[in-house]
Amino acid sequence: MLGELLHILAAAIISWILFVAVDIFFKLPETGGVVGATAIARDIEAGGGDLAGGTMMGNIVCSPDASAGTLLAACGVYVAGIPGGLAAATLVFIGNRICHDPGYAGTTGAILATFVIYGFTLVGFAASDFIAGMVIAILTIQGLSHTHASRLLGRLWRVRE
Amino acid sequence: MIFELQVVFGLIALLGALSAALIRDSYGKLIALGILVSGVLPFIVDRGYLDVAIAAALIAPISTIFVLMAVRRAEP
Amino acid sequence: MIALYVVAAIAVFAAVRAILERNTGRRFPHANVLNFAVAGSLVLLLDHPITLVAAAAYFVGSTLEANAIASTYAGGVKR
Repeated sequence: MLGELLHILAAAIISWILFVAVDIFFKLPETGGVVGATAIARDIEAGGGDLAGGTMMGNIVCSPDASAGTLLAACGVYVAGIPGGLAAATLVFIGNRICHDPGYAGTTGAILATFVIYGFTLVGFAASDFIAGMVIAILTIQGLSHTHASRLLGRLWRVRE
Repeated sequence: MIFELQVVFGLIALLGALSAALIRDSYGKLIALGILVSGVLPFIVDRGYLDVAIAAALIAPISTIFVLMAVRRAEP
Repeated sequence: MIALYVVAAIAVFAAVRAILERNTGRRFPHANVLNFAVAGSLVLLLDHPITLVAAAAYFVGSTLEANAIASTYAGGVKR
């Protein structure tokens, strides 16, 4: 019981680092990919947040990026192992093309997450821990406090610049 | 399905329906319709009707896009 | 089993936050958390290969829905 909760927390930290690193590497906070992302960024900035972090949150809402890739790769590994993860990467790529996005961030994140999650299942984690961990990670970015989350993402983006 | 999960997902569906009835803003109404669909979908998957679930998940956003055309024409 | 309870609790929390939020532009991230949680719970409920396709179809569909609503809310041309 307690051990499984600790596994879920550790998986949340791992997947948080993974998807934020991939998103910032592919320059998501730079520009809004679609018009809706800039509108969401404007509303978050009006509430006291940071513009670059708000743009990245708007991009996460408006097209499946590395966070969606990590979640679906965890689902694929839970269902069918490594082939399931690669099938999930294909589905994420199709979804990206539907939403008018180039689709590099989502596909790269899904393929990377497949191998990372498979590696951790060899150590003793279960793939369902990573599904719950990814949901917790996205909750800390999008669900708790938009002001603080966007300021944190903006600070990370300025470090990368 | 376990009883607590039935309560949780049913609560999400009911909250979506109630807020779609009560919210005044038209974009808020459409988001509430999305919440309603997301509460209904786990019940379909739990029985094993996966084809119905795929069809419902693909038809719901298309109907939302059709409603959005009416919203755009009424608002400007 | 605990993973399913955690995901369901996050889903109901995100739904309540999305409904109680006043600003329309800040409703979208809460609804996005709800989409993530429901897509994860679909796979955890039924362990079958086609469930992956169902979860991906639901996720892409709801993302497209949020994209369309946000683009219309911004007032731009829907692409």
